[in-house]
Amino acid sequence: MNVLKVSRWTIAVFVLPCLLLYVCLVFVPILVSFYSGMLDWNGIGESKFVGFANFGKMFASDPVFWPAVGRTFLLAGFSMLVQLPVALLVAILISRNVRRPNFLVSSYFLPVILSVVVIGQLWKTIYNPASMGGMINQILIKLGLESWTHSWLTEPKVAIYAVIVVGLWQYLGYHILIQFTGIQNIPADIYEAAKIDGAEGFKADRYITLPIIVPIFKISVVLSFIGSLQSFDLIMVMTGGGPAHATDVISSHMYNMSFLSMKYGYGSAIATFLVVVCLAATLIINLLFNRLDKRFS
Amino acid sequence: MKKTSKKTLGAVMAGLLAVSLAACGSSGGNNNGNAGASPAASPSSANGGSKENITITFQNIYPDPTDPKNKILHKIVSQYEAEHPNIKIELDSLNTDQQKLKLKTQAASKEVPDITVVNPSAQMKPFVDAGLFAPLNEMVEKNGLKDTFQAGILDYYTFDGNLYALPDGNNIALVYYNKSLFEQAGVKVPTTFEEMIEVVKQLKAKGIQPMTIGEKDTWTGSFLFMNILLRTNGGPGFLKDVLDGKKTFEDPAFLEAVDAFQALVQAGAFQEGATSFDYNAGENLFKTGKAAMYFMGSWATGGIETSPANENGNVGVFKFPTVNGKGDPNEFMLAPGSAFAVSKNSKHLEETLDFLNYFMLNFPKEAFEAKGAVGLAQNVEGDFKAAGYSDMAMEVLNMFKDVKGGDLAFDNTMNPGTAQAHLSSIQNLFVTKKDAAEVAKEHQTAFEQNKE
Repeated sequence: MNVLKVSRWTIAVFVLPCLLLYVCLVFVPILVSFYSGMLDWNGIGESKFVGFANFGKMFASDPVFWPAVGRTFLLAGFSMLVQLPVALLVAILISRNVRRPNFLVSSYFLPVILSVVVIGQLWKTIYNPASMGGMINQILIKLGLESWTHSWLTEPKVAIYAVIVVGLWQYLGYHILIQFTGIQNIPADIYEAAKIDGAEGFKADRYITLPIIVPIFKISVVLSFIGSLQSFDLIMVMTGGGPAHATDVISSHMYNMSFLSMKYGYGSAIATFLVVVCLAATLIINLLFNRLDKRFS
Repeated sequence: MKKTSKKTLGAVMAGLLAVSLAACGSSGGNNNGNAGASPAASPSSANGGSKENITITFQNIYPDPTDPKNKILHKIVSQYEAEHPNIKIELDSLNTDQQKLKLKTQAASKEVPDITVVNPSAQMKPFVDAGLFAPLNEMVEKNGLKDTFQAGILDYYTFDGNLYALPDGNNIALVYYNKSLFEQAGVKVPTTFEEMIEVVKQLKAKGIQPMTIGEKDTWTGSFLFMNILLRTNGGPGFLKDVLDGKKTFEDPAFLEAVDAFQALVQAGAFQEGATSFDYNAGENLFKTGKAAMYFMGSWATGGIETSPANENGNVGVFKFPTVNGKGDPNEFMLAPGSAFAVSKNSKHLEETLDFLNYFMLNFPKEAFEAKGAVGLAQNVEGDFKAAGYSDMAMEVLNMFKDVKGGDLAFDNTMNPGTAQAHLSSIQNLFVTKKDAAEVAKEHQTAFEQNKE
């Protein structure tokens, strides 16, 4: 294994600076926030150590917490079950049928570089009631579907889906780009060989493209899952978690608790929960894909 | 040879390590977002001057160059700097929300800027309890500063006999209305809440948006609700009674207020999708003449004055009416303004206090000249009419003379935990019809859970 012909100590010394930086910037804050999660603290004055009381309250008696968790996973679910397959399909179609794909891919990618605030404001106007010039509602009315119109962002039952759509739309291009690049890296001669053997079109995709881009797809899955868990900015810009918590997700609930209700300790407990869920999710996704990898290779 | 190279390597690594450790240390500070605002003294001078060079950090919420207060701020600061060449005032101008967040982060690490901004009563109490601010009792007596303030206003910033902050404003809640839209619908200024609902219905029937509100920023709806409660309770002090244990949220006055508030919402008073409008978007509907009435604090006067809606003096104001015949229109929702507090740990406490004294002494005079003197916490001398203040501004100024007391906003009275529960409970009334008893129960539960 020791191909570099240097001692383990030297390796350790070289790794050390980066490791220290990483520990300081990532692990120490996580531990600190875990500790803060055990305090009864308003963020300013004296703090009191209360052990796991915050966690107990979070799991047992916070009426906002579990619905917020549910919505977070709803977002993640939509992202993985709708956004990623669509992205993959588009990526495959582009790479097969479009001769100069760069322009298309860049256009799909455009929303990703736009600031979330811009996107949020844009979609807020699209979602507005017809009386305020909202595009969707006006189109629905023109089509004679008045009964379908909604006040999209303010009806508690609809609002979260309205926000999810925007999130999916924004990052679709990102996943198209990732998967498109993956497909482009598959050598053309494989397809040529397959063609001789009689596999073309979707058949070739099924037996060549999909298995080869599994590792790339995994990156997409992890990114979209973690991204959904951490979604915060879009919610804050579009609804602020309202009306009355109807669009709160874990991170917006955490923000409200720490900075608006000034329960810094409780907010830290939620943050710790979020970290644990993110780590667990990454682990599980990795395990699943390792199995998938083995099956295909 | 090999040995020396190893030694060199060791030295280099030690150096790198030191650098990376230093990076760790400073990153901790940056995370708190106060790299620029810590009360850092400028390097003590040795340039022969008798006085030390001093930098005072002045955190404020006047970042908008079109706001008269921004101009006033810069003018007074440069005057002071000209008179005191050894003192530099470093401005840290932020939006209200940013400033609130930044101060909380700074307070957590006990690095409060020399001068900062806080809100009255319950909102500043945690900071005072944490011992972050210097008492201003002596300073306010100097140069007669105390006498410039309106009677009683400083009480909202006083804890255990110590004054901790000086307010830049004092506002009341009122209803602005668009005269030409009222004419179009053939309605008159309502004198009771029942008439107000009738006006809403008639405006609505004519296709005019009756009222507007920016309910994404939950405090707006709460402010209106609290004014209704001030009426149904027959006078101020409901929340205080709750805090003292004399009443609960399940009191009839509270239930009546919830019902009245819902009646207004159900009559279709507010624009569709109100809960996704932030404060500015809500206000803009009124400013552009697209809504007939707007309930807000008198601080909005300046902006509405110069808006398209007020062309040819088209905007009038009226006091919030009685509800079910209860209450007195001369009792208002009071909004003592944000206020300047001084850090106890300031390295130049004496100079900072001296500057703030100077600033507050000159504030009303400059504000009057900049036409920003409606709703100040200090007495202003001068003829407003002659100085070119508009009719609407004059009406508002006169309304101040009728004030016979009132209540503070919910989040200025209750602790932040209860306040957040209240804000979201009221926001919910904009989108779902609820039983008043249920709303009362939500409040009572939140109040009991957040009791200290």
